[in-house]
Amino acid sequence: MPAGRREVLRKAAGGLALAGGALAGAALADADRALAAHSADAEQLARLLALERRLAAAYEDALARDAIEPALGKLLLDHEREHVRGIEQALGRRSPGQAQAPGQRLDFASRRAFARSALELERRTVETYRDVLTTFHNDRLLQPLGSIMACGAQHEVALRRVLGEDLL
Amino acid sequence: MRQVQATLTRRGALGGAAALALASCGGGDPPPTGGPRAGSGAGLLSSIVALEHAAIAAWATIGEALRGDARRYARIIREREIDNAGRVAELVRKLGGTPPQSRPAADYARLFPRIGDEADALHFARDLEERLVRAYLEGLRLLPDSDQRRVTAEIAADQAQDLAVVHVLAGGPAAPQPFVTGTL
Repeated sequence: MPAGRREVLRKAAGGLALAGGALAGAALADADRALAAHSADAEQLARLLALERRLAAAYEDALARDAIEPALGKLLLDHEREHVRGIEQALGRRSPGQAQAPGQRLDFASRRAFARSALELERRTVETYRDVLTTFHNDRLLQPLGSIMACGAQHEVALRRVLGEDLL
Repeated sequence: MRQVQATLTRRGALGGAAALALASCGGGDPPPTGGPRAGSGAGLLSSIVALEHAAIAAWATIGEALRGDARRYARIIREREIDNAGRVAELVRKLGGTPPQSRPAADYARLFPRIGDEADALHFARDLEERLVRAYLEGLRLLPDSDQRRVTAEIAADQAQDLAVVHVLAGGPAAPQPFVTGTL
């Protein structure tokens, strides 16, 4: 949350405090906590957004290089684009910040090599969702973010299938 | 139309099985003297344990209708449900509660849909796993404690993978939708 907005809110509540005493002071405290919570959530969303964009770019590149079976690649890419859209929507006008996805190298040398490296990136993304969901503040977003995490977990199964591994 | 009715029947059956398991909780026991405080999450966690007990029984029934690799996965998923039930039951105990016990398999079986072939079994399995994923995602929203939410998130991801396996066994893609049982 930009410091400017917080300052505006603080000043406004400060004015109310002069007129209304302790009640406005409590409102300021609540508002400040809410702002802090939103700020932490926005940072977490930015982490997830960076990972989802990384995955979308990975499947896009893999399709362009024939490193994934086209029908599967398009399906997974469509999902990642939906996840990016959803998280951007959740972030709203808040800046996504400068979160970077982990710099994992993706291997496009063959379909099998790509599946192996994409599986690792999907796994790390699901782990990040689990961490975020444990500490996230906005109750309304917990379920939809869990729904995206669940899709990522299913992508792992799809990629294990490509590798001919046990699905679970 | 006929297919929709069958799905609703299966879902109703699962709800009935879970309710049956819940009704068994504490039956004949003396009234609790302490126990979890209101809003601790114990009630919701207990309902998930009850649903898991029903799921364990359901996967045994589903497995009997499957062959080969599908039957092997049914066994694996049933074992995972047993682990899940244990993990969630432990959360209930940590809150000072008593998790619901499972009922005899026959009590659940009479509430399950009739399974005539593998397609019926996989249809039932899909409804079951969707219900489990939804239950854990709902838990994420409602449980107050971060440890509870961590366990719930971990199991939700596992349940989503079980559901993906069911999709594959039924001949579809592992991940057919971008949002599993929900949307932003």
